[in-house]
Amino acid sequence: MAPKDGFSVSRRDFFKTAGVGSLATGLLGPVELGAQAGVREVGPGAVPIQLTINGRRHDLTVEPRVTLLDAVRNRLDLTGVKRVCDRGACGACTMLLDGRTVYACSILAIEAQGRDIRTVESLAAAPALHPVEQAFCEHDGLMCGFCTPGLVMATTALLEKTPNPTADEARRALDGNICRCGTYVKVLEAALATKGGRRG
Amino acid sequence: MASWPAHPALLGTPTRRVDGPVKASGRAKYTYDLQRPGMLYGRILRSPHACARVLSIDLSAAERAPGVKFAMPVIDLANPEPLTHKVMYQGQEVAALAAETEEQGADAARLIKVEYEVLPHVATVEQAMRPEAPKVFPDGNVREANVDETGDVEAALKASAHVVEGLYWTQVVTHSCLETHGLVCEWSGDQLTAWSSTQAVHGMREGLARGLGIPQTSIRVISQYMGGGFGSKLGTDPQDVICAQLAKGAGRAVKLMLDRKEEQLSTGNRPSAYARVRAGVDADGKLTAFDAETWGTGGAGRGAGYPLPYNIYQIPVRRRRHKDVYINAGTQRAMRAPGHPQGAFITEVVLDELADQAGLDPLELRLRNLPAEAPDEMWRRYFPMGAEKIGWSRRHATGDPTPGPIKRGLGCAANRWAGAGSRRTQGQCEIFPDGGVTMRIGTQDIGTGTRTLVKMVTAETFGLPLDQVVVEIGDTQYPFAPGSGGSITVGSVTPTTRVTCEKALAALAEKIAPELGVDPAAIVASNGRVHAVNDPSRGMPWKDACKRLGTAPISVDGQWETGLSSVGTSGVQFADVEVDVETGITRVRKIVCVQDCGLIIDRLTAESQCYGGITMGIGYALFEDRILDRNTGQMVNPNMEFYLLPGPSDIPAIDVTLMDQPERGVVGLGEPPTISTAAAIANAVSNAIGARIRHLPITPANVLAALAEARARERRGASGSPQATEPGGVQGAPPINIGGAR
Repeated sequence: MAPKDGFSVSRRDFFKTAGVGSLATGLLGPVELGAQAGVREVGPGAVPIQLTINGRRHDLTVEPRVTLLDAVRNRLDLTGVKRVCDRGACGACTMLLDGRTVYACSILAIEAQGRDIRTVESLAAAPALHPVEQAFCEHDGLMCGFCTPGLVMATTALLEKTPNPTADEARRALDGNICRCGTYVKVLEAALATKGGRRG
Repeated sequence: MASWPAHPALLGTPTRRVDGPVKASGRAKYTYDLQRPGMLYGRILRSPHACARVLSIDLSAAERAPGVKFAMPVIDLANPEPLTHKVMYQGQEVAALAAETEEQGADAARLIKVEYEVLPHVATVEQAMRPEAPKVFPDGNVREANVDETGDVEAALKASAHVVEGLYWTQVVTHSCLETHGLVCEWSGDQLTAWSSTQAVHGMREGLARGLGIPQTSIRVISQYMGGGFGSKLGTDPQDVICAQLAKGAGRAVKLMLDRKEEQLSTGNRPSAYARVRAGVDADGKLTAFDAETWGTGGAGRGAGYPLPYNIYQIPVRRRRHKDVYINAGTQRAMRAPGHPQGAFITEVVLDELADQAGLDPLELRLRNLPAEAPDEMWRRYFPMGAEKIGWSRRHATGDPTPGPIKRGLGCAANRWAGAGSRRTQGQCEIFPDGGVTMRIGTQDIGTGTRTLVKMVTAETFGLPLDQVVVEIGDTQYPFAPGSGGSITVGSVTPTTRVTCEKALAALAEKIAPELGVDPAAIVASNGRVHAVNDPSRGMPWKDACKRLGTAPISVDGQWETGLSSVGTSGVQFADVEVDVETGITRVRKIVCVQDCGLIIDRLTAESQCYGGITMGIGYALFEDRILDRNTGQMVNPNMEFYLLPGPSDIPAIDVTLMDQPERGVVGLGEPPTISTAAAIANAVSNAIGARIRHLPITPANVLAALAEARARERRGASGSPQATEPGGVQGAPPINIGGAR
């Protein structure tokens, strides 16, 4: 690739020489990496990708800049988790990626390939409720409800790791989520009421 | 006349929100979540300048961009009135387009070429009030209200035993709704359907009709689930009309949801409030006079007024001179109890300062100046209750004498709100021959639990379980109900629901009365049966009664009536805080809330209103601040990482006591619980650190500055002349005991 804009190294050369293989892997995912030693550039146009969401494989075509959140919400119509701040500050888009909570607005869809992605829709099939969702309803841990699926996901992740959290552990685990209606007191009650056994 | 049941089965019980399951599981479809066939995404290009004249708008490159289906100017340069070519704040709408994907829309918006003549701006009230300041509007930057005066202020202050004098102020905060403003518009011929994140479906229909110049009969507005409004979604906005125009122009459905930055810049805010106050008490601790010169800004528009002194304490002599100050910023809107948090903060802080001057406990000072107890003025009873719960007896004088950097303090404040119902509210109820019941009312649930309350009242009236009645709201196809603002919703829709359902039940009673041999007026419904009021055995199961309808359902319309609701709530709050005087960090340990709201329909959602209002009050007290750069007029924090909202770890123990007043009927509760939180916290912080907090938010810098000023004053000694003081200044403040602060 010819140097552009007066820079003496291309983006690809930079990645090679800087030895940030792990970063590149994270950015482009295993499908693009292929067998070759270098990194294959994708985009800027739409590219085919494959996502494993709630145990199902989905083939879709998105521009590399599309976030996991937007791919899932706008292309797959899984709208349970919400877009609120769109820059990793509020937690309304919380999904589980290989069992860990992530802000789906701050991950590119192409990065999430090959990972186990779980959205709030994975927790229970309608009309059933997951025990965490049930606890939120019983304790009124929701008002307008826009932040709620994100908080439900963060609570679920907490309880899968720590089935009997202390109040402090619960507060810390949910600190990445913002609620404007002010449901925190009831959300924490719900999180603690769900404890007493692995409920995830 | 309609009445509430004397022995309700459901009313007053803690009842789970009926839409909790669909919301918690993510199945509820909010406006933001909707997908319509062939739907495009709308995008607005906004002014990057705080003040500029638009000279030209070139859409041609954007129109050719991939995916773009329609583009239009918002600023109409053909309009002969040159003022309309001016943008008044960063974020004002300039042009708009619709594209196949959001990403294409964002790309194309960048291709719109706009030529601006950048004009000088004002970004702060200090800048705006200078004589040489650029004018936001041709008639200047200051709009002075009439002087409001009762009695001879100067004489009353002169005769006072103690006088406090100072400058107090509060910041601008934004509503920060989690679901941004926006809508989906779809045309079918001349008929428009708009799914909107709104606090007023009927108001939105009216606004769209006006904005588009089409009849209201051509518009249907739907809002089933919406992600927060707090006052900012009561009106019809430019983006609402723009979205409908884009959909018309493109011939496709268009979704236009604002992004977070747009939401922070252009969808309203709570105005700032400044007050230069002089207030006095006599030797008995009775308030004598309150003189306030006040100003504040609601951005590029009016509406920065607020009640001062806050109308709870009895003050015989008052003077108020107010100015609205215009700056180049997004305009204010009603925000949860408009004006009250500002007025309460300033008044309650002044009261604590007067108590210190007079050597009185602040609670005692309040009790000496409260009006006599009345159903809507219960502070005399609530203050002692709250004091007991917070442990007021262990309160120390101003300035925690405990050694070490952590100081604790207590503070309190009161609130009041009207919360009346609207007599314009209408409903419709159907009873079907198979026993089904549908109650329809064109209100909306903005997260307050309205859907649940309507369902509870419907089920209560027919003596049925909750899940056997259907409630339909959030649609202009249902009878008119007012916008959800001013805490009027519960007082509007629950009486209307009761009246309408009682009317439907009376129609059913007419049908079965002959068979039962009972006067129809003496027939009631309870426990799944319709029966004689005095003899439950003379009746029949609900379903059997409905079968008597044959094939024709009962369908009745109802209208709001008096007698089921009242006006006026009162409440008090206490704060227990801990302040690190080395870092300036304040942590709220506990808030106690004693609050009434007339007849409580759903205790669970009513309590949530209190928790929610207090949580928002904590944000107002400690964190939130819309910061404008004074040199560029740009908002520095139009996001959620630097516009600080409270999170789970910022929330203290909250002790809510709801006072039930069933004899008064329902009164709204959405707003009152947020009014006094910041005032109580500010007084608690002053009590902890021994230095006066006179403005919000109580950031570490604010706390450290207050401490530094108190130390400087102590060094100057009692003989020192008061320093002047803008902003943040302290004039004629009481001597302050900084205790063991160092």
